[in-house]
Amino acid sequence: MNRGVIAAIFRKDLVAFSRDRFYVFITILGLVAFVAMYWLLPSNVDETIRLGVYQSGLEDVLAPVTSANTAALEVTSFGAPEELTAAVSEGTGGIIAGISFPPDFADSVVAGDGVVELLVPADVPPEYLPLMEGLASQVAYFAAGERPPVDVATRTVVLGVDRVGDQVSLQEQMRPLLAFFVLLMETFALASLVSTEVQLRTVTAVLVTPARPRDFLAAKALLGTFLALIEVVLLMALIRGFVGDVPVLVVALVLGSVLVTGVGLLAGASGRDFMGVMFLSLALMIPLMIPAFGALFPGTAATWVKILPTYGLVEAIVGVTTRGESWAELGPVLVGLGLWCVALLALGTGILRRRVETL
Amino acid sequence: MADTGPAIDVKGISYSYGETLAVDKVSFAVAPGEIFGLLGPNGAGKSTTVKMLTGQLRPSHGSIRVLGMDTAEDLAAIQARIGVCFEEKNLYTAMSGVENLRFFASLFGIKDLDTDGLLERVDLASRGSDRVAGYSKGMRQRLMMARALINQPDVLFLDEPTDGLDPVSARTIQGLIRQEAERGAAVVLTTHDMYEADTLSDRVAFINQGAILALDAPETLKLRHGQRSVRIRARRGADEIEELVIPLEEVDAADAVQRAVTELDLLTIHTEEATLEDVFVAYAGRGLNA
Repeated sequence: MNRGVIAAIFRKDLVAFSRDRFYVFITILGLVAFVAMYWLLPSNVDETIRLGVYQSGLEDVLAPVTSANTAALEVTSFGAPEELTAAVSEGTGGIIAGISFPPDFADSVVAGDGVVELLVPADVPPEYLPLMEGLASQVAYFAAGERPPVDVATRTVVLGVDRVGDQVSLQEQMRPLLAFFVLLMETFALASLVSTEVQLRTVTAVLVTPARPRDFLAAKALLGTFLALIEVVLLMALIRGFVGDVPVLVVALVLGSVLVTGVGLLAGASGRDFMGVMFLSLALMIPLMIPAFGALFPGTAATWVKILPTYGLVEAIVGVTTRGESWAELGPVLVGLGLWCVALLALGTGILRRRVETL
Repeated sequence: MADTGPAIDVKGISYSYGETLAVDKVSFAVAPGEIFGLLGPNGAGKSTTVKMLTGQLRPSHGSIRVLGMDTAEDLAAIQARIGVCFEEKNLYTAMSGVENLRFFASLFGIKDLDTDGLLERVDLASRGSDRVAGYSKGMRQRLMMARALINQPDVLFLDEPTDGLDPVSARTIQGLIRQEAERGAAVVLTTHDMYEADTLSDRVAFINQGAILALDAPETLKLRHGQRSVRIRARRGADEIEELVIPLEEVDAADAVQRAVTELDLLTIHTEEATLEDVFVAYAGRGLNA
């Protein structure tokens, strides 16, 4: 390879990129929008469950429960069932559900026919119901003057990092997705640059000089990686993403930049015009976005998601920034990401080479 | 890698696009300092031939030596010494004329390119710092020509260099072509403008359906295949006009012309000679635009 030629093509492309108002506009807009979006998202998670209670005549019984408010459970008393219903419906004070004990609850529960109303808005997750039923049962025992039939001693063993009081915020959950969006924009830009070069046949003029196709391809791959990396690093810096094991994160971002460069070359070489390139870029990127969206939701990723090229990138970003993982835990996914990089870059450059040589 | 002998030596090259044979066993040679016209209609195989000569395509059969080197083995060394002016205006429009020239100079490893001098040669000195996007077609073509001259090439390939240009731009480019040939560069001129080929070329090759039909100096071809004549229009009586065509190949042509001049009431008198177009028709059985 001729380093002078590669440097010349790289510099030329950088000039072309900086002078294209569309690329510059979407790049700046994207960065500003993503950074703004990040900082506007909640930076912490409210783990407290707020319940409302109507409890006529049960003040003494409920006193131990209502006075024992913790970070996890907060119980608020209401003076009338209508007030409780209104508060639950409107979510006043963050109340997500209500328990309405009938006025004769103490008598009826002794008689064995007490009915407690659980007020649950339609959008409350079903897992809250057992919690409320348990609370109602406990109150019932107290109202009846009896102890629960058994006292079960429990011991909590947290596997992995105990995140009680330190849940992953929406900001943190969005980090890989934002990083991925920035990389996606660079895919469009690179694909468009490559496509323009092919369509205007400027590449033909380059390749009748001492510049070889491999020099041209290397320059494009370097440019794509450079642009993507600069932007994603800038984004991560602006959203305070460089936490934990930074070298692992940097390696993941470099590999991610190479990965999207491969996709950009593929789309740029295959698209016939600007719209075609945009369509192809998006079509290729949609499946690659899935792991990033998957990071927004709790739980383990499905097996088919794990084989997607971008899974390693997302897993590495999430692992380093939210789980505090390092080489030992993330080594295998980085290797997988690296293999995908090689494959996509080879495919992208291969198709571009074929396109260039058949012009 | 000696430079003795022809600047370009093509022996029996062929190329097919799939099942379509684009170039069929073409052979020719071009000497240093010679302007060689490659003429033919669209789709005749001219561009494919030039693509093989410049290393963009590899012939399926035959061999090409440029400046004594084989294109299959020494392409990079050859491309360092050739200049190519494409039919497509494939310039970087977001860059200025000077930036375009400097970029291509850097591909040749030239660091001290005299951009002012080069732009002066193509009458673009005053617009060199303007972006190419604002150039007219003629200006772009002249910049393409300047680009082809960056490395002072020993072989210059020009594909339709004056196509669609105004007369001033066309003359500028034709002047440059002559200067380059005088400097010693071999020039391969691909065109379907027969007049331009006739006035510029030392030799021309007619190519049609991938094969060379004829190859010689334009004058020789015209003499060999065309007919020179004198066309006379004269008044006969009050309203009638008589037209005479006297072929100059006839034995008594001179006497016939003399008689016409002295005896007839002449309106116009023109000499007519065969054009390259006539010669092409004679060979191909059709015109360039048919």
